[in-house]
Amino acid sequence: MARRLMLALFSALFVLYVAGPVLWLLSSSLQMESEITAVPPNWLPPHPGLHNFTAIFTAGDSAEYANRGIAGFLPSGAANLLPSLYNSLKVGLWVAALNLVFSLTAAYAIAVIDFKGRRATLYTVLATRVIPDIALVVPLFLVIRNLGLINSIGALVVTYLAITVPFTIFILISYFEGIPRDLYRACRIDGCGHWGALRHVYLPLSLPALVAALMFAFLTSWNEFLFALVLTQNVAAQTLPIIIAGFVMDFTTSFSFVNAAGVIAILPPVLLAILFQRYIVSGLTAGAVKG
Amino acid sequence: MAAITLQGVTKRYGQVTAVQALDLAIREGEFMVLLGPSGCGKTTTLNMIAGLEDISAGTLLFDTKDVTRLPPHQREVAMVFQSYALYPNKTVAENIAFPLKLRRVPQAEIDRALAEVAEQLELTPLLGRRPHQLSGGQRQRVALGRAIVRHPSVFLMDEPLSNLDATLRLSMRSLIKRLHHSLKATFVYVTHDQAEALTLADRIAVMQGGVIQQLDTPEGIYERPANTFVASFLGSPQINLLRQGLPRPAWVPAGQPVIIGLRPEDVAHPREGLTTLGGRVELVSPLGSETQLELALPEATLTLRVPKDWRVREGEALEIGIDPARLHVFDAATERRLAP
Ligand SMILES: Nc1ncnc2c1ncn2[C@@H]1O[C@H](COP(=O)(O)OP(=O)(O)O)[C@@H](O)[C@H]1O
Ligand SMILES: [Mg+2]
Repeated sequence: MARRLMLALFSALFVLYVAGPVLWLLSSSLQMESEITAVPPNWLPPHPGLHNFTAIFTAGDSAEYANRGIAGFLPSGAANLLPSLYNSLKVGLWVAALNLVFSLTAAYAIAVIDFKGRRATLYTVLATRVIPDIALVVPLFLVIRNLGLINSIGALVVTYLAITVPFTIFILISYFEGIPRDLYRACRIDGCGHWGALRHVYLPLSLPALVAALMFAFLTSWNEFLFALVLTQNVAAQTLPIIIAGFVMDFTTSFSFVNAAGVIAILPPVLLAILFQRYIVSGLTAGAVKG
Repeated sequence: MAAITLQGVTKRYGQVTAVQALDLAIREGEFMVLLGPSGCGKTTTLNMIAGLEDISAGTLLFDTKDVTRLPPHQREVAMVFQSYALYPNKTVAENIAFPLKLRRVPQAEIDRALAEVAEQLELTPLLGRRPHQLSGGQRQRVALGRAIVRHPSVFLMDEPLSNLDATLRLSMRSLIKRLHHSLKATFVYVTHDQAEALTLADRIAVMQGGVIQQLDTPEGIYERPANTFVASFLGSPQINLLRQGLPRPAWVPAGQPVIIGLRPEDVAHPREGLTTLGGRVELVSPLGSETQLELALPEATLTLRVPKDWRVREGEALEIGIDPARLHVFDAATERRLAP
């Protein structure tokens, strides 16, 4: 009994620790600038309203800009927020989709086809991720510049694929290896070539791992900061993290506005997680527990 | 339509040679059983015939066509796996129809073939289920159905019955035998179970260490084992193999060291024309219609199977008669069969 009580207590504490900042983000996004900075703080919004969000979605609109006193100070880059949200979505979806194409085919080849040098291929792919990102920034910048891709969505998509594909290959390989080899054999005997085996055996039986890979690729590109900072220079290609970070470096920081932007930034990943939640738990542990 | 010829077929995994220069000619319409202990290379051989494993050296012919490098889906063989290997995300009907779907057979024809196979294998009420909703025997029948629906000319089976319980195994055995008669296809059947091999096979290839030890009819393998390995692998209880203690047939050159083999059932009451041996009964195990016993001779102990009306009792003396013509003689050094 005491044991269960302790367990409940510590669980509650842990949840508070993890969820606290998010709750505060939500609460403060519904408050006025003056209410946020009040001491003692308002845990719940005294006059909840969507004014911060209204300001974000109309930041490009000059008439509303005059009313900025109501919502607090609009940061100078506020008008870039919506375009960057769109950029982030575009980059994330492209990376997720292309990642799946590349890692699915690569993982199939490495896990299923017995070709010379398959071990070496796997280790080479994984070894690229041992190097810390910061060490790659300058060489990558030069490559992207010479390709003429600086300040384009393409630069980010290519870079994020290079970051995410090795991991997703690894996730998929360990999942594929858990699929009984006899199913592959049966499929080949029944008349499938390699594409058929991929489509009829490995694809349908690895949905959890595929969803995990998709989520991982999307979230990585959604959150990525360092490469985006270096490779993009204006609103044509800048993503949400860059723009939101810019708000804080502004002359005066508008917390209400930053928090509202933060809520918008976490919304797509949360929606994605809810959409795929029945696959996620099994996907993230897939391969990890199978002997 | 489909004779299968293996010429010097070899499979190496790195340093390990799983199958060593195998020569085997399987006749069209034959029921060939590959028999041997676990790890002797049966599955590897079958997979090479199917195209699931690359052949390291040698040639594989279907009739006169060289298929050594042909991928499995171009070989037109059907296969049944020990693990059943049913697609878990497909229903029974979809599993069985899958090979036809891949071949773009018209739907009406698929439906007709499916109904026929389901009827034959008594699967009709199960067509809508998924594999995890089936018992082991039902799964095995679905796996058979998926194989026969294509009317293949070559049928490969890798220990298809070893996951079933004993009763089911017997009924599946006769089902497979009936299938062979009705399909008139070439069957290659892998098993480590000698009883299965003896009942099903037209011919048996006994394998050990990646090498065929003997290729013959079930009778030939049992009556004239080529070496001591084959002699002791078939027969239950095992053949008695003794360097001394059993009478040497008259034709064996004096002084040559030999191993003499006696099948447990090759004994009778002493009578004219038989060699008589006497000993003490040590252990008696009734087997229903027969009795298994251990008989201690002066120089050795024999395991014997005798009719139950012998009414032997432990501790008693017993005299038996042995027909010298039924003794198996092997060279003591090479362990190969010697014949007069
Ligand atoms: N993929 C593999 N890699 C390495 N060795 C293998 C592989 N598959 C089988 N072997 C080896 O080849 C030999 C024959 O195996 P197998 O054909 O499966 O035997 P069986 O089916 O008669 O039990 C065994 O010694 C086994 O360890
Ligand atoms: Mg095997």
